[in-house]
Amino acid sequence: MITITINDKEITLDQPMSVLEASRQAGIKIPTLCNHEILKPYGGCRLCVVEVERMPRLQNSCTLIAADGMVVKTESDVISEVRRGILEFLLINHPLDCPYCDKAGECELQDLVNKYGATAGRYKEEKRKVPESRKDQIFARNMERCVACTRCVRMCHDVQGSSSIAMIGRGGHTRMEPFTAESFNCEYCGNCLTVCPVGAILSRLNMHSFRPWQVDKEVETVCSYCGVGCSLIAQVRDDSIKRVIPKLGLGVNKGLLCSRGRFGYEYIGSEERLKTPLVKKDGELVQSTWSEALGIVADKLTEISKVNSGSSIAGIASSRCSNEDNYVFQKFMRMACGTNNIDSVSRTGFAAAQKYFEDLLGQGITGNMVDGLKHSETILVLGGDPTNVNPVLGLSIRQAARDGANIVVIGNAGGLEKFKTVQVVPHVFEEAEVLESLLLAVSKEKGVRGERPFVDKELRVLADRAPKTDVEGFEEAKKALLESGSTSIVMGMDLVQRTDGHRLLFTVAGLTYLLEARLYLLCERPNEQGLIDAGCVPEMLPGGRPINISDFRAKFEAEWNGTLPENDGLTILEMIEGARNHTIKAMYVMGENPAFNLPDSQSVKDALSGLDFLVVQDIFLTETAEMADVVLPALGWTEKAGTYTNLERRIQLQKKVVEQTGGMEDWRIIAELSNKMGYAMNYSETEDIMREIARVSPLYRDLSYNEIAQGNCLWPYHGEPLRGEVNEVPGMHDVDKEYNADFYLAVEKPLFHSGTLSRRSEALMKIYPEPLLKVGGSTAAKIGLQDGDRVQFTTSSGTIEALVAIDDSIKDNRVYYSNNFRSGGVFSVMKFNIDKVTNAPGIEGCEVRIKKL
Amino acid sequence: MENFLLRNIDNPNSADIGEYEKSGGYKNLTRALGMEAAEVLEEVKASGLRGRGGAGFPTFMKWNFAKADPKFPKYLLCNADEGEPGTFKDRPILEKNPHLLIEGMAISGYVLGAEHGYIYLRGEYPAAKDILEAAIKQAYEKNLLGDNILGKGFNFSLAVHQGAGAYICGEETALIESLEGKKGQPRTKPPFPVNVGVWDMPTIVNNVETLSNLPLIMEIGGEAYSKIGSEECPGPKLFCVSGFVEKPGVYELPMGTNLKDIIYKHCGGIKNGGKLKAVIPGGISTPVFPADGIDCAMDFVAVPKAGSMLGSGAVIVMDESVCMVKVTYRALKFFEHESCGKCVPCREGTDWLRKILERIENGFGREGDIELLLDVVKVMIGRTFCPLGDGAAGVVTAMIKHFRNEFEEHISTRKCKLSEAN
Ligand SMILES: Cc1cc2nc3c(=O)[nH]c(=O)nc-3n(C[C@H](O)[C@H](O)[C@H](O)COP(=O)(O)O)c2cc1C
Ligand code: SF4
Ligand code: SF4
Ligand code: SF4
Ligand code: FES
Repeated sequence: MITITINDKEITLDQPMSVLEASRQAGIKIPTLCNHEILKPYGGCRLCVVEVERMPRLQNSCTLIAADGMVVKTESDVISEVRRGILEFLLINHPLDCPYCDKAGECELQDLVNKYGATAGRYKEEKRKVPESRKDQIFARNMERCVACTRCVRMCHDVQGSSSIAMIGRGGHTRMEPFTAESFNCEYCGNCLTVCPVGAILSRLNMHSFRPWQVDKEVETVCSYCGVGCSLIAQVRDDSIKRVIPKLGLGVNKGLLCSRGRFGYEYIGSEERLKTPLVKKDGELVQSTWSEALGIVADKLTEISKVNSGSSIAGIASSRCSNEDNYVFQKFMRMACGTNNIDSVSRTGFAAAQKYFEDLLGQGITGNMVDGLKHSETILVLGGDPTNVNPVLGLSIRQAARDGANIVVIGNAGGLEKFKTVQVVPHVFEEAEVLESLLLAVSKEKGVRGERPFVDKELRVLADRAPKTDVEGFEEAKKALLESGSTSIVMGMDLVQRTDGHRLLFTVAGLTYLLEARLYLLCERPNEQGLIDAGCVPEMLPGGRPINISDFRAKFEAEWNGTLPENDGLTILEMIEGARNHTIKAMYVMGENPAFNLPDSQSVKDALSGLDFLVVQDIFLTETAEMADVVLPALGWTEKAGTYTNLERRIQLQKKVVEQTGGMEDWRIIAELSNKMGYAMNYSETEDIMREIARVSPLYRDLSYNEIAQGNCLWPYHGEPLRGEVNEVPGMHDVDKEYNADFYLAVEKPLFHSGTLSRRSEALMKIYPEPLLKVGGSTAAKIGLQDGDRVQFTTSSGTIEALVAIDDSIKDNRVYYSNNFRSGGVFSVMKFNIDKVTNAPGIEGCEVRIKKL
Repeated sequence: MENFLLRNIDNPNSADIGEYEKSGGYKNLTRALGMEAAEVLEEVKASGLRGRGGAGFPTFMKWNFAKADPKFPKYLLCNADEGEPGTFKDRPILEKNPHLLIEGMAISGYVLGAEHGYIYLRGEYPAAKDILEAAIKQAYEKNLLGDNILGKGFNFSLAVHQGAGAYICGEETALIESLEGKKGQPRTKPPFPVNVGVWDMPTIVNNVETLSNLPLIMEIGGEAYSKIGSEECPGPKLFCVSGFVEKPGVYELPMGTNLKDIIYKHCGGIKNGGKLKAVIPGGISTPVFPADGIDCAMDFVAVPKAGSMLGSGAVIVMDESVCMVKVTYRALKFFEHESCGKCVPCREGTDWLRKILERIENGFGREGDIELLLDVVKVMIGRTFCPLGDGAAGVVTAMIKHFRNEFEEHISTRKCKLSEAN
């Protein structure tokens, strides 16, 4: 216990802290400038000075650790004089251009001068001149306004881990500069913006278009991009979003954001948004009305379900839509159309992995708090780069590394280059062998736990194989895992999208089991988990209840007033196959773009063109929508309310922020359609739907918007998992293939992009305007490629032309290309085979030839 | 007193290990390694040695703190940044007597349990770099550095790291930052380097001259050492005298030698029979003495009593031809240039002071400028992060205190009389 006296007030502290923190705890205000609560103290501005008895000079309260018996005074004539002096100093070279500066109104320097500063300046000398830099597309950098507090640099280095900017120069010439001196060329998280106290770094989005005090409203909501589900605040003026900012301490992200979350909001106001229903007439999509369009869809679906039975209809749900949307969608498919053919693109990754792990290790095994990563001793990262796919989760890994955790990376993960302890790069397609050997090594030390018969059995099978341990880093990785008292495993979807995916997943499951590790699945879209929970999977009802168990069916039939189809439906790839061979006649696509987002997209397009009837409900005219018979305009993020379940299984509210005319909420479109088709759905707002979910889904039992709004609703909330028991999992298949090509094509998951949304966000397009072929240093050397070369790359199914970017964090002979740009996504030239256990498409082993142009 | 730090200095081959050994070199290391580290430490305690880098901190105390820290490895850093204007006392050791420093560091490393040493060398001393590195190589070859030194089971590695020309890197925590490859800026203290220093490990930073005293302490014993010079801060001291004296240079004299004697006895008095105007006793950052203030024993106790600081022992002598406004302006130009930019009072204060002083010196002084200078100084003194800013402010205060009339004259006549005359 430490007791100190501040301004005659005795304060007891239960842990060591600075005098500044102690004062704040006691409600005593001390002005600060260089200090920021999420950064380490710096002690540069010296505004926070206090008097301490028995100490000769004034002390910095931000860097002075409170010691027992200290007697502190935070206000005195001397202290005020110093503060006034410091503030005067800060202004002598300042341009005093507040009327022109976007920061005015929320500038800490302005506020401080108002409160503590002198009324008149005495500085009559010439000011330092530094022209404002607009060489970056996103940031304006005005170093005349900079107070050299280094908050931005500490944020970028100590928290974001990007280390893209630094203070350069000495004395009065000190200023912040990105290492390239021109554009920032960084991760564009914008977290430096959050901490800059003045207008020295400003966002160029909406520059000079509003004042902080002119926002009509600020709405606390959740990001629409990935499965982390960061909390953020949308600031609105004249019904348009002017800025997105995080809030300190709030949500999973606690004040941090990534480039997509902060700068990717512009898509919502895009000119390209769909505003009216479209109907295909004479092969052309033409504008229509809601009543006409819905009438056509209702008639057509009714007809097909009568003539061909419900099982010839299929529905694709959306991991960008809310729990409510998806719940209503699957109910509609099952009850109004009479089919269990419901799935999503998530089957190609998250949903497939999730099912595998739950079958093996029990429901909820992947539901772990992101915060937990920071407390790990060892983090195993495999199957993708967390810092790109789920950037804010990636920050927790970087933090753990800084705190001394071992970061074991298998394969490529560029964002962890500076943070990894050991990297194991198996020869392309030897991953399974290497991981199995790792698992085997661990099981030899840890013994068999005997709780999961299937795992134990497979471990015995593995024990007969010759291990593959002659890979660099193997022993070190093994040691880090075995010596760790608290392990996390972070798995990306590259491990799933493989023909031998189930073998890889088994090793991850085995390691999770033997090491009692926390397992995190990277989750590209905001509601991949919620979509599964809501029942948008072919074999499960909401809450993960198997459809083929009649007891469960009976319960839902009673709630839903009707009869459920009995058999498991088709997975998404089976649906596409069905469309190709005409067993599927009609398809309803809600908020998804299968003609672009599924591998071998060209053949998906061919298959879809064979449908009798295709309905697409979306906010943009996507590649799939262009093929549809009817297109229904939906509402997007910030235009409607609903709940989302993030990768931790945290249920959060997205709120309505702006009004949009033209589209309708996804659930409302479907409910209207359902009513037209004779299956009644009477919801007037999303809360009605949540009340129903809370009644029928044991996972969301008794959950209410009220409780969700209070935060920290982590699954299972009041409910409980269905079974700790596990399903039978089909055994291993050997996939015997030789891979001897020079280069293999793989999918880039860029930090700055995510599907249909980001390519309509101007800012993100400025940061990463066109897809690049990313090649490792050794690959580049082998064929004499240089940064910026134009090349043609060719697979068995097509050719793409692109510019080359050399990326030394790619350590093997894979080359990466993204599927996020309008033309020529990588999926258009990638064929796949299906992993028979997970039903996910295997896209590995895509040989590619590269020709320099 | 016989020269010790500057022993051999006139021998053109003094930097060679053979010459050094001829005059008894490295015997003291052998002696130290034959003793328990704790016994050697007792000798250092008895010697009363205080740091020669400027602050005069008792070396024994610093070492004791570092030894008490249980963390390993520990690092020994030699501060050879010598960047303060007027200071060139370490240079003869570095260039002429490098083995004295190496021997001193090896002994210190042994006492401290530090197995790694670095010499952080001023960027503008390229010759010293080559000389030091050649000497270190020789010492390695004779197993006076390296593993299992002289078969006594003590390992000590030593390397030179060259700075890039920033005065602030002489401040020990900025030096550590710089050594780690970062921008040289001071760190918050506490924690002190003795507990959390380079790469967060216990680190001892000592001046070249301080460490070079170790062989002498070994040679004559702590007790005898403590009898040299002033009682409260004994030992030999290097004084580097520059400016208007007949014989400027580096003098090894007992600590506590009177400043008057240094100027008039050792340095042959004021150049060309001129008249003394002012003396800066310990480097540009120490407050100036007017001509009548120089009857002062030069040690870490007496000089502060007389209103200045011993600093590095860099004595700068000025005669009547020197304009004190110009000196102040030049000093502030230096501080403005060298301010690291970390803290507001120093960063902006030195900038403002320099601009005012430049105006006054150039004949553009205004009514109220002196008061303004003193007001600016008031915000700085005692408020800056490290002593650099304090030093800058102190220079201005002292100059105005003793030579206010010169400032007033500049302002009222709108010119610098002395500059015009020269
Ligand atoms: C601005 C500044 C510059 C300094 N420059 C030097 C220097 O060049 N050489 C030096 O030995 N000490 C310098 N010091 C003092 C060091 O911080 C430190 O006190 C000294 O190296 C300790 O060694 P000592 O105990 O042997 O004196 C400087 C201090 C300050 C504040
Ligand atoms: S945007 Fe993020 S990565 Fe870029 S400089 Fe700022 S903090 Fe660093
Ligand atoms: S740019 Fe902003 S945050 Fe960075 S040092 Fe300058 S004032 Fe501080
Ligand atoms: S006083 Fe402040 S700005 Fe000046 S050198 Fe020290 S830390 Fe840097
Ligand atoms: S807030 Fe303490 S020095 Fe800036």
